[in-house]
Amino acid sequence: MDPIYLMNNVFIIVCFTLVLLMQGGFILLEAGSTRMKNAGHIAGKTIFTVGVASIVFWAVGYGFIYGEGNAFIGLSDFFFGDFTSEVDGLAGSTDFMFQLAFAAIALTIAFGGFAERAKLTAYVVFAIAFSAIVYPVVAHWIWGDGWLADLGKQDFAGSTVVHLTGAMAALAATIILKPRIGKFNKDGSPNDLAGHNQVYTALGVLVLWVGWFGFNAGSTLGVDGAFFGYVALNTQLAAAAGAIAAMFIVWALSGKADIPTTLNGALAGLVAITASCAFVAPWAAVVIGVIGGLIVYASMKFFEKMQIDDPIFALSVHGIAGIWGTISTGFFATPELAAMNGGEAGLFYGGGLTQLGVQTIGVVSSGLFAFVLSFIILKVMVTIMGGIRVSEEEELIGLDMAEHGSYGYPENMPTEENKAPGA
Amino acid sequence: MGLIWQSTEATVTQRICLLRKIKLREHNRYTSINKGVIEDGYSSQGMRYEDIKELRSDRIKVITEDHILLNEIHDELMQSIVEIAVAEVKSELGSPPSRFAFFLMGSAGRFEQSFWSDQDHGIIYEKSNNENANYFIRLGKEISKGLSICDYDLCDGKVMASNPLWCKSIDEWERQVSGWLTEDSWQSLRNISILFDSRVLVGESDFLRVLKDIIFKRLDKEQNIIFRLLDNVGYVKKGIGFFGQLLPETNSKGKGHIHIKEKILFPYVNSVRLLAFKERIYLPSTLSRFNHLTAFYKDMKEYEETFHRILELRLHFQKRLNEDDNVNLISIEALSSNEKKEIKIMMKNGYKLFQKTKGIIQQRG
Repeated sequence: MDPIYLMNNVFIIVCFTLVLLMQGGFILLEAGSTRMKNAGHIAGKTIFTVGVASIVFWAVGYGFIYGEGNAFIGLSDFFFGDFTSEVDGLAGSTDFMFQLAFAAIALTIAFGGFAERAKLTAYVVFAIAFSAIVYPVVAHWIWGDGWLADLGKQDFAGSTVVHLTGAMAALAATIILKPRIGKFNKDGSPNDLAGHNQVYTALGVLVLWVGWFGFNAGSTLGVDGAFFGYVALNTQLAAAAGAIAAMFIVWALSGKADIPTTLNGALAGLVAITASCAFVAPWAAVVIGVIGGLIVYASMKFFEKMQIDDPIFALSVHGIAGIWGTISTGFFATPELAAMNGGEAGLFYGGGLTQLGVQTIGVVSSGLFAFVLSFIILKVMVTIMGGIRVSEEEELIGLDMAEHGSYGYPENMPTEENKAPGA
Repeated sequence: MGLIWQSTEATVTQRICLLRKIKLREHNRYTSINKGVIEDGYSSQGMRYEDIKELRSDRIKVITEDHILLNEIHDELMQSIVEIAVAEVKSELGSPPSRFAFFLMGSAGRFEQSFWSDQDHGIIYEKSNNENANYFIRLGKEISKGLSICDYDLCDGKVMASNPLWCKSIDEWERQVSGWLTEDSWQSLRNISILFDSRVLVGESDFLRVLKDIIFKRLDKEQNIIFRLLDNVGYVKKGIGFFGQLLPETNSKGKGHIHIKEKILFPYVNSVRLLAFKERIYLPSTLSRFNHLTAFYKDMKEYEETFHRILELRLHFQKRLNEDDNVNLISIEALSSNEKKEIKIMMKNGYKLFQKTKGIIQQRG
């Protein structure tokens, strides 16, 4: 067999593994950003929902994205599993696995909006709905044979497909669930509900950062020209720039170099470069990362002012940075790289406003679709399930105990029961 | 198979008479401590706590399933203990410097105690000053001590008259109740719910009525509070699993046991308390509240009978226990298959009642 073909597959299966490992990054990130009493819950539900996403993606998700259908949705390749098939120069299964990993990431991002107060059953139902419909439709539009692909939309590894879609679902969820108890006072002023472990959060960011090389570099879908090296280069520069920019801005404006903000800056840089890593020059990657780091800080403040509770900053890190990253190719895409990877050159390279327009259309349509559909799904869930938020008491004692029967940190949690009326 | 329990005419009449007795206790109980006159029961002059303890042990032995008689006995015993305590503090600090009310909460307040229960009580006194504060805390501590000697366990949550939180002057109490309602936190509204299941055992029953009036006035003014009170008891711990099996406790203490109070009783108690808030009912006992509610809501009668049966069954199970065992845990193994069936029906009806209550409150607010 052709050695290059085999090498492509090896490369992509390794990248799949890196992206799957990013779930571990999310576990650390999310558990570190939330309170001890919910730690076991947050970590455990991630494992469980990756399971749900996998099965649903296999059953219908992959088919909706890559199946033969129309401009809106694919309609074949359900229950995927022919070991002889080939897709995009890869063994069918290898390509399938790589795509599955991305779908699972999008779902985990979406669940950032549920944190610390959603019923477990809500997670289960939404995992199915999101993996079956919300994510696949957007992915089909941009990566399958969809209408945005036809327009030449540039989203190399998924700033829109994965990050914005996940973030919009998170936005719908966090609005419907309403803020956590204690997040906002009666006069609207916010309280900082500090995460219980910054070391976890930092480690989580690092695991994500490393995994991102599977995410971005792997999206070359092969070793051809060793282009993945260049993609990796841009990825690293944007992450680095984002971290620095965020730390700088929070230190300059507040006097303190807040760690969570710095970490969010690195992530924002990564999210932003995700669309543009294969389309821009390295200096542009730095600029994109810097702007990502700056706007993530502004976004964090913005959502707080809007009385929207964003427990793990999913809206800022994945949503706002995802929008910026997608639009950035409209400015920075070079003619050579656009010719190689799709779409047109950006504004700064004489491409005019065309690509910028396409990117904007893509962001707006995908974002709106993801938000509206998620909102509807969640509203229906509220009606059918009699609410998707746990009771006040459960939220106060922590989901670990309420939903799962045991604390993630049993030695650190109170053992005495609440005083119940009529003891 | 038929019904697991039958309601005969004699039992119904008996219940009506006993319910009237409970009402009398709740409305008309007035004992003038200063005059040394006690309306019913016997004079405790010259007795000690240890005597009451012995009396308690003797009198309770004979009860098998009559929970109303059991609670009447508890009332008499507790009243005697309070009288001894008053006398004790009198000898130390003189007569009570102002009128006061000693009131019960919790299962005692609801007239739903079983063989063993813990203390839940408070004091409201008339005039606010340092001397009174010291005097009545001392009285609260003495009562608490006396009750404890007589096997009424101290309350873990410190809902006792020995705690300044639950021993205040009328003015202070009014401010505290208003404050709890305004604070609108889970704990403060939990305190309101605890306070609401109350009745004066000894002293001025009007003092307590004033506090309940504050709650009712606030419910009239602010639509939101009843929803918040509903949220407060929204955590309904499931007793029946996916396959219809009884769910035992998962912690090490309760392994293999069902928590009667949390899983069987609470849905009824909490539902009926919510409706009592809504219908502005002053009575604290679940049974009296049920009785009152049957006028407004159909099928309350059925839930009332189930609740009655739960109380009987609880006594029946607790007869088997030693004093050291947790009185609220029944071993699933020890249950017969019929008893298991009965318990499941009780739980299901409890959940139904809670859903029904939720619907009533959310609909009309």
